[in-house]
Amino acid sequence: MSKMTKKTGLTAAATVTALSLALSACGGNDAKSDSASDKPVELIWYTIGTPQKDVDTVMAEVSKYTQEKINATIKMKMIDWGDYTQKMQVLVASGEPMDIMFTSAGGFDYVQNARKGAFLELDELLDKYGQGIKDTIDPGFLSGSKVDGHNYGIPANKELPQLEVWRFNQNLVDKYKLDTTGVRTLDSLEPLLKTIKAQDPSITPFAMDKNYVPYVPYDYLVTNMPMAVKLDGTDLKVVDILETDEMKQALNTMHKYYQAGYVAPEAATTGSTQDLMTSGKWLLDRAQTQPLAETSWSASNGYPITSTPASDAVITNTSVQGSIMAISANSEHPDKAMEFLNLLNTDPVLRNMVDSGIEGTHYEKIDDKHMKNLDASQNYNMPSYSLGNNMLLYLNENDPDDKWDQFKKFNAEGKPSPILGFNFDSTKVSTEMTAIQNVKEQFWASLMTGTVDPATYLPKAIEQFKSAGLDKIIAEAQTQLDAWVAANKA
Amino acid sequence: MVGSFFRSFNRNKVMLLMVLPGAIWFLFFSYLPLVGTIAAFKQYRFSRHGFWYSLVHSKNVGWANFKFLFSTDAAWSITRNTLLYNIAFIVLGLVFAVALAILLSELANKKLAKLYQTGMFLPYFLSWVIVGYFAFSFLSMDRGLLNHTLEYFGMDRMQWYNDPKVWPYILVLVYLWKSIGYSSVVYLASILGIDRSLYEAAMIDGASKMQQVRNITLPMLKPIIIIMTLLAVGKIFYADFGLFYQVPRDSGTLYSVTNVIDTYVYRGLKTTGEIGMSTAAGLYQSVVGFVLVMVSNYVVRKVDKDSALF
Repeated sequence: MSKMTKKTGLTAAATVTALSLALSACGGNDAKSDSASDKPVELIWYTIGTPQKDVDTVMAEVSKYTQEKINATIKMKMIDWGDYTQKMQVLVASGEPMDIMFTSAGGFDYVQNARKGAFLELDELLDKYGQGIKDTIDPGFLSGSKVDGHNYGIPANKELPQLEVWRFNQNLVDKYKLDTTGVRTLDSLEPLLKTIKAQDPSITPFAMDKNYVPYVPYDYLVTNMPMAVKLDGTDLKVVDILETDEMKQALNTMHKYYQAGYVAPEAATTGSTQDLMTSGKWLLDRAQTQPLAETSWSASNGYPITSTPASDAVITNTSVQGSIMAISANSEHPDKAMEFLNLLNTDPVLRNMVDSGIEGTHYEKIDDKHMKNLDASQNYNMPSYSLGNNMLLYLNENDPDDKWDQFKKFNAEGKPSPILGFNFDSTKVSTEMTAIQNVKEQFWASLMTGTVDPATYLPKAIEQFKSAGLDKIIAEAQTQLDAWVAANKA
Repeated sequence: MVGSFFRSFNRNKVMLLMVLPGAIWFLFFSYLPLVGTIAAFKQYRFSRHGFWYSLVHSKNVGWANFKFLFSTDAAWSITRNTLLYNIAFIVLGLVFAVALAILLSELANKKLAKLYQTGMFLPYFLSWVIVGYFAFSFLSMDRGLLNHTLEYFGMDRMQWYNDPKVWPYILVLVYLWKSIGYSSVVYLASILGIDRSLYEAAMIDGASKMQQVRNITLPMLKPIIIIMTLLAVGKIFYADFGLFYQVPRDSGTLYSVTNVIDTYVYRGLKTTGEIGMSTAAGLYQSVVGFVLVMVSNYVVRKVDKDSALF
């Protein structure tokens, strides 16, 4: 009897094992070595974006060009937007061979990974092979992307400051004859929101997702963490953003808006507002702008979108570190990689080939400045901002001739943040950083979107941040900031 | 000695061959990575010489990587949530799965039984992301089925994703819906393996269906129930990440009842990506799970030697 039950058990246990084996798929690794090329060096380049069908075809063409110029060929590997940070962390940690990789404040964090040793320090290489980069790129980029005094990457030359705007769905503005001229602060939106809510309840007056944070004139030490320094402050004090009068007031306004129904009820858990953008059932939202942004927003949504500023244009660490190409610490050909980056940022032929593909296949030139995408361009549709110097790119059909001059003007008008170039090193307080990250996730979205009442939730959040060790982090940040000020500003 | 080894090897070679794929799988995915455990005591930093070099040459930091798990008030609530939910899952999962397996085995219409079984098995194959959207279609504030029903009966809409009170029930319900079909198959397989003559004898003695279940089916199922429970106890410190992250839509106001060890670790480390700290968390979970399995197996062995796992 007991022997038989044991056997029944074993059969069942075997069933479990067999089932779980059958159910657990294991991802294959089809890394294949490339055809041996004799003399030229092959550079492996990891970059962000949805993998494109024609990458290998285009890179073959690019390689012909680069082999001639610097005796190197290019192998590009693309990793999709959502996976980039995580996959790169694994690839870099496991020592996967690579030479050049994309990094930024938002994807595969530049400062942290520079400190962890993922990137090669470039100071010498820049002097040796990067003269072209130094001459072309706005100097604000190179100085703003220094970590502890050294360059670890080549930022893409593009819009430099960060300028927040209110975007309006112009169709609705016209239909209900709304006046957007006096709009700038969060409070100044109220009459517009009120009108539209009364006129058409099916519209979401104020579109936002869970990442929305009301604008306050502070520069954050770490994106979306509460440590911040006031932009116009002279004494450079690190504060808890939730304890500032500006944020308190903004949160009260947000809660008022939420209760009035100006904000979607699920805003605090909504990942994207894309469906609102597609349907056009929204009045306004907040976004970051750049020259000619209105044209491209309107074009991609299919209806007119206008904007007015919601802040000053400020050059911050985040805006400077929006798109950087770094050389991997384990690169076998750092010299060639630097030569390539120099070429990429100074040579219009190479830069446009990487961006738009092969002339005649993916695009065609209209005149010496303008180009037009052909049908095949959907097989090679690259995110321009991530790949290098934007100001070398050919203009699209409808772009004004002075597009890049507008960018240069925009960049010149930006005011540097008082802490531009200071990068907080959180190594000493990593336990506390992990703890406050959890507190942040708990309170941030529901407070910022106005979903919960700040009268009860704000004190709770502030207290939990403190008990998780925010004060210790702020003290550490202040010490580092004071030392940085003494070294750089005195 | 060697001879007897080969004799027993020879006798069991078919069985051993069947075990081989599983053994290889465990070797590669469970035993080899054990070496990486040293990362839990390191401040991992990249170097140009690859993973092993970096691992060995990173700075030793002792127990510092474990601190973040215990340093805040959250430590208590994530441990409580993880344990209580898993206990509820083990107990309720067992009761419902066994009950379901018995019901299915007693169904006279075998075609219908197969249909039910497949129907209940299906949710097991859905990813948590999809299950999360299923739940959302019920619980959405303005378009959810539940809120429409409430409105129809003249009641106020609920803000489901902001109300922590209801979530323990929702999570248990969703978990059972997704997992029961799978575990009941295991029990069903054992029931079908029970010798029919036992039931025939019982029927001749005039035993009712309930008496048959109580006196034949359940005792015969005991070993597999114990095995399955012991295996589940070993995982008691691991929470189902998808369930606790995707289904509540990562809503901050629900954290008091939805934050478990795995989500805490993910949220804490997703931006900093400290490999040492995430390894520390995994090691902590494994060690506690190991201790719990040993203890519960010891208890089982004391009570009933035959049913113990080892």
